Amino acid sequence: MRALTAAAAGLAAALALVLTVTAAGAPGGTTSPRPLLTTVPGHP
Amino acid sequence: MRRRASLVLLAFAVFFTALSPLMRWYAFPRLAKIPPGQYQDMVLEARPATLIDYGTMKARKVPKVTIVQTLKGDVAASDRIERTAGRDVVVWDTLSYVAGPDGKMVSQVPERYIFDAHSQEPVHATGESVDGDRVRREGIEYKWPFLTEKRDYTYFDAQTRSSAPIHYRGTRTFHGLEVYYFEQTIPWTRVPLPKKMPVKGITPRAVEKTGTTRWYSTRRMFWVEPVTGAPVNGEEIHKEELRGGDLLPGGGKVTAFAGHVKMRDDYVRSTVALVTSQRTLVLLLTSYLPWGFLALGAALLVLSLHLEARGRRPAAPGPDPEPALSPA
Repeated sequence: MRALTAAAAGLAAALALVLTVTAAGAPGGTTSPRPLLTTVPGHP
Repeated sequence: MRRRASLVLLAFAVFFTALSPLMRWYAFPRLAKIPPGQYQDMVLEARPATLIDYGTMKARKVPKVTIVQTLKGDVAASDRIERTAGRDVVVWDTLSYVAGPDGKMVSQVPERYIFDAHSQEPVHATGESVDGDRVRREGIEYKWPFLTEKRDYTYFDAQTRSSAPIHYRGTRTFHGLEVYYFEQTIPWTRVPLPKKMPVKGITPRAVEKTGTTRWYSTRRMFWVEPVTGAPVNGEEIHKEELRGGDLLPGGGKVTAFAGHVKMRDDYVRSTVALVTSQRTLVLLLTSYLPWGFLALGAALLVLSLHLEARGRRPAAPGPDPEPALSPA
């Protein structure tokens, strides 16, 4: 019974971690102020 | 004490073992995404090339034609579309600007490309366009999906405003990276005149009135890094012609632009460097962490069982108790 409880705790922690990380997601960012280019850039 | 330690180890074993598939099949599709605010430029060159001289309506050889491609993510537009699409969406405004040897504009094609941030599937929303014309894309454009497969894909061609298969032609090595090589041939097709013509005062409508038409054919090649789905090299054997009408009487035709377009070397190097670093991040989610967690979980389980077994072993018999002293 104690082994089952330990396994359930491990599983719940894994689910909680993954759900939290994916819910937070990546930062949205902002639109770049740089224009679409109409001249040839010198370097990348 | 040993039994308590074995239970803690068991909990960690289950934790890491469960993380392995969760990371690969739940977290990866939700975390590996094209950022909505991406900005990127690319320079391609055709050396030499053929260009039309609009003064004489004859083709002439030029030493170089440059194509500057820029893509810019519109974050506000992607937020707006996400609200109704119910998934993460990227909106790219792109411009393919073709410059002659003197740097003057030969043609330019702006596009708005809307797609799913993870799967690269097109998302059909207001604003999806090529050179101001509304389009409905099928398939991919510019980038392949993460974990690209060895198969044909459908690729959107902006000039013809239509999609056609792009064929997987084998695995190659490019600058030390394993890449998939794809090729697409667009046969001669009549295409619209660009909205912005290179000669002042001439509009596409004025050219259309003369009956002259624009035709295009290309063979495009991509070397795609399969983990990220990012092309690390691209080439195009591009041909454009103006045909017939009052400008070219008697069914005549003239090359408007022809050349073998290749990515400039410095952009190839920077793209390879960028893709190599992104590849490591994707591999972390799809391979390194899932397999590492699985191995760690298995090792912890073995250790836990070992401790549990030792905890259950009966204690070794001790020395015989001394015989009780009998009263004298």
